[in-house]
Amino acid sequence: MVFDGAAFTDAFPLLVEGLWMTVLLVLASLGIGAAIGLVACIGQLLGRGALNRLSRAYVSLFRGLPETVLIFWIYFCGPFVFDIRLSAFASGTIALSLVGGSYLSEIFRAGVLAVPRGEIEAGRALGLTFPVVAMDLVIPRAFRIMLPAFLGFMTILIKNSGITSAIGVTEMFYQGQIIAGDNFKHFEVFTAVGVLYFLIIFPLSMASSGLERRLASADR
Amino acid sequence: MSNAPDTPPDPSSETAIVRCENVRRRFGRFEALRGVSLSVHRGQVVCVVGPSGSGKSTLLRTINGLEALDGGTVTVDGVRLPGTSKDVLAVRRMTGMVFQSFNLFPHLTVRRNVTLAPVRNKRLSPAAADELAERLLRRVKIADQIDKYPSQLSGGQQQRVAIARALAMEPRVLMFDEPTSALDPEMVKEVLDVMRELAHSGTTMLVVTHEMGFARDVADRIVFMVDGDLVCDLPPAAFFARDDDPRLRAFLAQVD
Repeated sequence: MVFDGAAFTDAFPLLVEGLWMTVLLVLASLGIGAAIGLVACIGQLLGRGALNRLSRAYVSLFRGLPETVLIFWIYFCGPFVFDIRLSAFASGTIALSLVGGSYLSEIFRAGVLAVPRGEIEAGRALGLTFPVVAMDLVIPRAFRIMLPAFLGFMTILIKNSGITSAIGVTEMFYQGQIIAGDNFKHFEVFTAVGVLYFLIIFPLSMASSGLERRLASADR
Repeated sequence: MSNAPDTPPDPSSETAIVRCENVRRRFGRFEALRGVSLSVHRGQVVCVVGPSGSGKSTLLRTINGLEALDGGTVTVDGVRLPGTSKDVLAVRRMTGMVFQSFNLFPHLTVRRNVTLAPVRNKRLSPAAADELAERLLRRVKIADQIDKYPSQLSGGQQQRVAIARALAMEPRVLMFDEPTSALDPEMVKEVLDVMRELAHSGTTMLVVTHEMGFARDVADRIVFMVDGDLVCDLPPAAFFARDDDPRLRAFLAQVD
């Protein structure tokens, strides 16, 4: 098999177009997922009764569903169940946000629970009120503790975003399928796709493990 | 303050900053405190000693409301617990606490560790709190580390910052929970020296410690606890001379 350099380089302009869609999809899902995850995390940590049960149920449900199934379900079944027809992009974003929110909720929760108990007690012993302990002590500490896991989740989200191609979201993986379907240069095109994914994911995972190392050496 | 005693206090307790009456605390079936009564008067240094698991730390933690009371009352400068959440905050702001494991805030500089409570509790403006922090850190002999983070300091330095942090709320009483137990031996002295200086300048102190030398030299009274009971409460000379209590004799034989 001969590697056709021209087909490889020719694929880039269209793939980069798809890359922007991937970035948009990931950022939207990450933003919405983080908002949902924050609410579910607070519901689990502080909520009583129904709010607490609802948050737990949400996390268990969406951690237990494959993204692929959810994407298809929202896109194809959504119109019958909810009587609204969503675009492929909207369906993909909602599905990735719902699953992402359940994972992010657990990442946030682990971060909060990892703040050493003694630090919180020291704050309470100083007569700080609950909001001050939360805003000045727990949240900044939890943020640093969970940052590596958050970046790690972001890389997984980038990889998973490709499955929205199945319902026709024109992100990078979809563009790759289109180009390869056109010129039959699967080898060159999907190598190019892999290179582009790697170029955005690699710095993120480097940052994630770098932060993890720094965190491990900074504390005690 | 709310919750002032209904009856005029008897003269002997007039200067009591901390008054525990029949304090009880249970953890499940385990009775950590079985009705402890203790007063600490203004300017006094009271050391609490006893074998581990005797309830010494729990006693300190009930005084500032970190542990709830299962019985009895704690009164700190006229505010009584159990009380409203306002009372709990008021008591915590009047009682400084120094922990065995320092518990500094690792994401804040030494300066911010000290100024956080006076600023957030609206006792002082940020500028005034800054000045206070510099003064307190000079007092614990660590002013040159003011812009460092806790992880850059030695254990002894961290504990001295923790003392400055507790002093920043200008507490009526300063409580220490085994402040030197987590320190390397060569750092114990620098912390005890700061505590001696505080005691000599009239700070009211309640100190849980295994440092019998410190207790002998500095304490006005030594309190001995076993199994959640307060066994005796005596001035140092009488404490070390007492030989009729087998539990105290066994304890002293172990720590000496």
